[in-house]
Amino acid sequence: MIEIENLSKRFGKVEAVSGLSFSVAPGRVTGFLGPNGAGKSTTLRMLLGLVRADAGAATFAGRRYEELPHPSAQVGAVLEDASFHPGRSGRNHLRVLAAAGGHPPARIDEVLERIGLADAADRRVKGYSMGMRQRLAIAAAMLGDPDVLILDEPTNGLDPPGIRWVRELLRAEAGRGRTVIVSSHLLSEVAQSVDDVVVISRGKLRANGPLERVLGSSDGPVTRVRSADPTRLRDLLAAEGMTVDAGGDDALIVRGTDPAAVGRVANRGSVDLVELVAVSRSLEDAFLELTGEAGE
Amino acid sequence: MRGLLEAELIKLRTTRTFLALAGAAVATSLLITCLVALLSEPTESSVLTDVFQSDTSGFFITILAIVGITGEWRHRTITSSLLAAPARVRFLLAKTLAFAVAGLLLSLLISVAITIAGYAILSSRDLPTPEFSDALRQIGLNAIVAALVASFGVGLGALIRNQPVAIVGLLLIAFVVEPTLIALAPDVGVFGPTGALPTSIADIDPDAAGYGDVDLLSPGLALLAMLAWIGAAFALAATLLKTRDLT
Repeated sequence: MIEIENLSKRFGKVEAVSGLSFSVAPGRVTGFLGPNGAGKSTTLRMLLGLVRADAGAATFAGRRYEELPHPSAQVGAVLEDASFHPGRSGRNHLRVLAAAGGHPPARIDEVLERIGLADAADRRVKGYSMGMRQRLAIAAAMLGDPDVLILDEPTNGLDPPGIRWVRELLRAEAGRGRTVIVSSHLLSEVAQSVDDVVVISRGKLRANGPLERVLGSSDGPVTRVRSADPTRLRDLLAAEGMTVDAGGDDALIVRGTDPAAVGRVANRGSVDLVELVAVSRSLEDAFLELTGEAGE
Repeated sequence: MRGLLEAELIKLRTTRTFLALAGAAVATSLLITCLVALLSEPTESSVLTDVFQSDTSGFFITILAIVGITGEWRHRTITSSLLAAPARVRFLLAKTLAFAVAGLLLSLLISVAITIAGYAILSSRDLPTPEFSDALRQIGLNAIVAALVASFGVGLGALIRNQPVAIVGLLLIAFVVEPTLIALAPDVGVFGPTGALPTSIADIDPDAAGYGDVDLLSPGLALLAMLAWIGAAFALAATLLKTRDLT
């Protein structure tokens, strides 16, 4: 179980992550979504102890990464800029990590075989394609056979077969009861493989829950409404039992309710509306609305 | 710590840079020894200094140590290193120990090679050779110096991080700053970590090492001063590494 509680990080004047809280359950694939610069990588690096949080905590079952008794055997991570010494072979890269992490050398051949890199293992990394490097990074993450997998934009630079391979890997690992979190700025690349999503934008949580509930249209009609007093409008709608999310630009997204019903509530509460529309959305539309990127 | 040390030694052995620079150290040391043994006429009192002190491992292992630690940032492998070993000070300690061991072994290899070559050439020319015990003592002192300067190199590289800047900085300290201090303020210059202190610890004749009549520190005092340099560089580097965000 991954737990993020009120996590904040500022780089100079830039607030990269602000009061972020969510949790990731085992046995499920959780998509960590947001546009570029949303704070995804910073959050994952704080979780892995590579970046120091200004406030809050990021833990694995209550323990920070550096407090884990055997970190690389409990958590495997593939970060966005996975880098290797260009003059070292793939196998030697894994030998270094196996020795440092205390993993048996026999695991090296096992993971090389599993990720399909056994034939190229003795070639120097500088001759690897982007896809091969990504596979090597995943092999490194799996070296300790960890219960938690963290993948930051793992499909960047991959060709379609590579993307499919990553998807299948994520599903297989979650199927074995592992906790899997995968970040992406492209919903389309993870929508087919995730169970839950955590959506962030500008360092703040926008939505969190099962994919269909957060981004889908299975809740019936969806209405986008904007008023000069969004806080009061939100309170009125919530008091009627309606599901209300922030939609960016002070807009509210009301799920399971058509515009007429939303308008009646606003009228009864004497709240002036400046926008009231039925939303016909794809997953991508919903994602863009949540992240405030729609129309930008 | 054993696993971390093993990982660092694998890193050392699995890049061509180490093999190339180690080979260059062996080759230059042997070349100097052979040329001096073939072309000079050493006396019984000067033969050890003249022929058997050409071990260049100290210089090369310092460069290698800087390349090794700064390479972690240059190639961004610092991230995977710290994911495998999140205790950052232990990582730096393992790196320091690995290069100290590498320096020690490289120096021993060179010293044995130049001792064999020197004895062979001098004997064939019917020139005096040093007492074997003196040669053994020199081999041991050279190895200690190589281990110490390698440790200092890791600290220096971890502080500077930028590989070209760190290497140029080392060359400036060794060939400009320290010689200038020796010339202008010898009382300060004798504490130089790249020249005067290694010379003192290796118990090399100051005159033969180019220090003229400067009174270098005694080997024991020089060893303490060198350890202080290493300790200071390590402490600063560890503090910086602990507090630094790896973005």
